[in-house]
Amino acid sequence: MSLNKLTIAAAMAATLALGACNQKGGDTAPKSEAAKDAAGDATIAAGLGDATKFAAAAKSTGLDATLAGPGPYTVLVPTDAAFDKLPAGALDTLMKDEGRQELTGILTYHILPGAILADDIGKAIDAGKGKALLATMAGGTLTATKEGDAIVISDGAGTKAKILGSDEKRSNGVIHRIDAVMMPS
Amino acid sequence: MLKWMLAAGAAALAITAPVAAQKGHGGGKEHGQQAQGQKGGGAKAERGNRGGGNDKAMRGPQRVERQKVVQRDDRRGQGQMRAKSDNRGRGNAKADRGGPDRVMVRDDRGRDTRVVRFDRRDDDFHFVPRWNDRGLVRGFVDGCPPGLAKKGTGCMPPGLAKKVVGTALPAALVGNMLAGPYRSWYRDNDDYFYRWDDDYIYRVRRDGGLIDALFPYANRDYYYYPVGMSYPLDYNYYNVPYQYQSFYPDGGDYWYRYGDGAIYQVNPSNGLISGISALLTGNPFAVGQPLPVGYGMYNVPFAYRDRYYDTPDAWYRYNDGYIYRVDPTTQLITAVIDALV
Repeated sequence: MSLNKLTIAAAMAATLALGACNQKGGDTAPKSEAAKDAAGDATIAAGLGDATKFAAAAKSTGLDATLAGPGPYTVLVPTDAAFDKLPAGALDTLMKDEGRQELTGILTYHILPGAILADDIGKAIDAGKGKALLATMAGGTLTATKEGDAIVISDGAGTKAKILGSDEKRSNGVIHRIDAVMMPS
Repeated sequence: MLKWMLAAGAAALAITAPVAAQKGHGGGKEHGQQAQGQKGGGAKAERGNRGGGNDKAMRGPQRVERQKVVQRDDRRGQGQMRAKSDNRGRGNAKADRGGPDRVMVRDDRGRDTRVVRFDRRDDDFHFVPRWNDRGLVRGFVDGCPPGLAKKGTGCMPPGLAKKVVGTALPAALVGNMLAGPYRSWYRDNDDYFYRWDDDYIYRVRRDGGLIDALFPYANRDYYYYPVGMSYPLDYNYYNVPYQYQSFYPDGGDYWYRYGDGAIYQVNPSNGLISGISALLTGNPFAVGQPLPVGYGMYNVPFAYRDRYYDTPDAWYRYNDGYIYRVDPTTQLITAVIDALV
């Protein structure tokens, strides 16, 4: 549509113009402040709800700031019950100072770039003849498949997690709750 | 003459080095004297924190020809990385004999060998962090286990980084313009330009031609500086990628430093990392390059979905602050069409 093209052209022109002004951020309030005010309670960080263990882990690793930032991210949030499925003592060890680095790597394995709805994953699975790979912030990929109507995510070791419920759209992305913790392997 | 190699077919995520978590662990007592702003340098750090090294381990078998993949994890320093199977009685080095699908792959300069796993499911390489009863094992550099390095005992030799700042850019690098995603992250302007080599991105001040700052650019999979440790002094420069600078500006209450796929928030009074402000994938999105693995699903942020949606002629994918148009047939990135500023 010509209107669409015009919009894109305008956006590109605007982007180029912005690019030309390369200011180093100083005189006005940083965008993060304004963005934070606007987002407020609507961020992923503020929407973790019942996932208290994930929230505590995020806080321990400093990722709570990430999930309150502009993003956008898509976060696969394991439920508390999912964390309970880990070997006894594993989470406690990870929550200690010496485990923080590993815990950060594990949590970022659950964070994907952009805003991805379950439907988007489903379409990719279909296009991929039953399988889709999901790039994560940690660097590895997760694998998505379907079992019936449910979307199932698998890690490198083959541990499967089902996406529970429906998309939770937040100001800075999406939360999907899953019933197992994905582990880099 | 840049060795930024991209996969012919499989593109993406691949070869990474199981480098230990020694990066950034030294100099724990020596901060707070940093000048603000772009010249974070002037470091007194005796302990550079160098990643990578030269693995003298044995050469791998037939996978060597599949070498041309993105070196996402290409941090070389002065240290020597021992073969993973070399257990010199340090007590906690784990031999990695691997399985049949683990290979040692040597890059085409013959300098580095990495342990990678060839994933037969999707014809791709994956970094192989392993989980044992102590946690996630990343392997060691110079035999230093992560815990030891964290105490700032200088397990790695002091870095040379601080000696480079203030010197002239080597002539060999003058033509090394940034490529890949970094071309849009670090943009030449009237005051500075950026060049790179295998290890670092250098910021050079036009007036005088001296190196003003440097920092490693490769991401190590699953690796992040843990909150609470000091940001490495050798690289303590404002290096937030362009598209995030308005969110995380220089000269505010916090220092923002990019490294290993994250923008870290650093407390200026003590140089300690206080949080992770943003995560970036560092995946090699650039016009003309293949869409990296793992982006088959539409992921455009909500505010842009009405404008940029998939059709048989064009896909749109978001990564690290930009939206990219992709040709669905060739899977090549055809345009960078927006930035989230």
